[in-house]
Amino acid sequence: MSKEALVEVKNLQTYFYTEEGVVKAVDGVDYEIYPGETLGIVGESGCGKSVTSLSIMRLVESPPGKIEGGEINFQGKDLTKLSEKEMRKIRGNDISMIFQEPMTSLNPVYTVGDQIIEAIMLHKGVKRKEARQQAIEMLQKVGIPLPEQRVDEYPHQLSGGMRQRVMIAMALSCDPQLLIADEPTTALDVTIQAQILELMNSLKESYGMAIMMITHDLGVIAEVSDRVAVMYAGKVVEYTDVDSLFEDPKHPYTWGLMNSIPKLDKDVERLEAIPGSVPSPLNFPEGCKFNTRCPLAEGKCFTDEPELIDAEAGHKVRCWRYKDLEEIKARGERIYADQGVKE
Amino acid sequence: MAENLLEVKNLKKYFPVKAGVFKRTVAHVKAVDDISFAVKQGETLGLVGESGCGKSTTGRTILRLLEATEGEVVFEGKNIMELDKNEMRAIRRDMQIIFQDPYASLNPRMTVADIVGEPIDIHKLAKNKKERNQKVEEILENVGLGAEYMNRYPHEFSGGQRQRIGVARALAVDPKLIIADEPVSALDVSVQAQVVNLLQDLQQEYGLTYLFIAHDLSVVKHISDRVAVMYLGKIVELTDKKELYDNPLHPYTQSLLSAIPEADPKKKKDRIVLEGDVPSPVDPPSGCRFHPRCPKAFDLCPVKEPEFKEYGDGHFAACHLLEKE
Repeated sequence: MSKEALVEVKNLQTYFYTEEGVVKAVDGVDYEIYPGETLGIVGESGCGKSVTSLSIMRLVESPPGKIEGGEINFQGKDLTKLSEKEMRKIRGNDISMIFQEPMTSLNPVYTVGDQIIEAIMLHKGVKRKEARQQAIEMLQKVGIPLPEQRVDEYPHQLSGGMRQRVMIAMALSCDPQLLIADEPTTALDVTIQAQILELMNSLKESYGMAIMMITHDLGVIAEVSDRVAVMYAGKVVEYTDVDSLFEDPKHPYTWGLMNSIPKLDKDVERLEAIPGSVPSPLNFPEGCKFNTRCPLAEGKCFTDEPELIDAEAGHKVRCWRYKDLEEIKARGERIYADQGVKE
Repeated sequence: MAENLLEVKNLKKYFPVKAGVFKRTVAHVKAVDDISFAVKQGETLGLVGESGCGKSTTGRTILRLLEATEGEVVFEGKNIMELDKNEMRAIRRDMQIIFQDPYASLNPRMTVADIVGEPIDIHKLAKNKKERNQKVEEILENVGLGAEYMNRYPHEFSGGQRQRIGVARALAVDPKLIIADEPVSALDVSVQAQVVNLLQDLQQEYGLTYLFIAHDLSVVKHISDRVAVMYLGKIVELTDKKELYDNPLHPYTQSLLSAIPEADPKKKKDRIVLEGDVPSPVDPPSGCRFHPRCPKAFDLCPVKEPEFKEYGDGHFAACHLLEKE
């Protein structure tokens, strides 16, 4: 891509120092987010997808967490080096974030209006009356019916979907250039999820902001992303545009994830399950971190960690054996052979 | 045609809403409001719906973990709603449940051997401790956990492994029916498939019948033979899974199907985005409960409740639009 990146994350390392040892939640992650695009970050629990976003916002609780290395470049500044005061100007203003559970991110003792008004007054330096007007406009833009009335309601008076709309209104009230959405629809029912995804897509167009969409749901990824980073055990294992990822997954983990979910339009007798479970971040294996579950793992995979390399132009993968996987796919074979009931 | 193992007839479960100093009942949450269906011997019936539709309450009421307000649950020809405590305990051997949260449903102070062995003890299915432990070992083996795990505690296991322990506990008494209440929704995507495959294998091996309750229509469609769709305490559609996907009759089913994001970026769906939220079951809408959100509602819908009727070979639905046609 020739455009200049809005955010450039380089070799980011965020570690947590716990009593049991050092948890390398994010361990050498690279990606870029371009203006106006949606970057999807997909992975299972504990893969570090949320910690990368918290690192960008500098919201990693310290101690125990610490950004140990790497750069986060945003508008010529390295966010990892900014002071808390400088960071506060960026948060909510240039970069905002919405979370999975809107009830825990909204203050229950203030009306939703107060919370949006506070953000607007703080970042835009306008008077309360003006800010209130803007808050009502924002609520209207995110599709909340009767915004003049809702603005004075408390979070508990709203449904889950409405609360997430309020969060979005708050996040967008200062015209951010990047919206980080961490599992924004996971707690919602599918019909409400459809509403929120639709809303986010239309707001992205009208505001021209970039979105970083963090989710475990490949369906959501397929729907909203332009490009995707697949994470496993603190690393990006595959990184490409959304069409290439789904057409031609090159990492055995990505391939496994896609085949382990049932599809509505296809009937299969059995799902291709990835054996085992995600290793504990306290003792990740030597070599490739996926080697405990990978049916293709052999020799080198157990000793040396592969780099994230260009398998094709614009399609990066972190695997020693991606070419072998290519051949297996070409032969139309499954790699996750049926293990019966065994893990 | 297989026999019905379980028949649910006009089942209702209302929860009282209490308020005021004297805790008087001021209203009822109509969690399950007059539903009927049957589960055939050896099949998997999927029960799908959004949160608050009453699907879990249905599962628990069938097992009498909650007492029904009205209606019958007939298991192998016997109305179990009339059984006393002892008879009920005996019949629970044949009907087991697997819960959603593998973290909350296992006692943290018990070893795996005791968790899985407890139902064997309760139903006195083993002569002595040795025989009981042998049984436990066998079952653990069958769910893909080795005997070496017997003396460990739940916290030592991952979510997927815990769910296997939950499955083992249900299997310990050799049940005929297993009610699986969102058994995979708390698990990671890559582990969900393992548990789904396990449940399918066990069904074959033990000839089990499943009532599979979940909100995820793609998982339900994968594992079930027939699917019932619930909305606000009612079943709105019931048919075999292929028919449900190819030819959904109820507007709610149609929008539910279209709302699921599919893992295929090339596919641009004609999405029916429903407006608004699911209304409160305390004061459900008049007539058809779906009418305030239904894109096809007409003048009859708010007035009269549609009947749950058969529209062609085993395809049931409750919608005025269908009656009109």
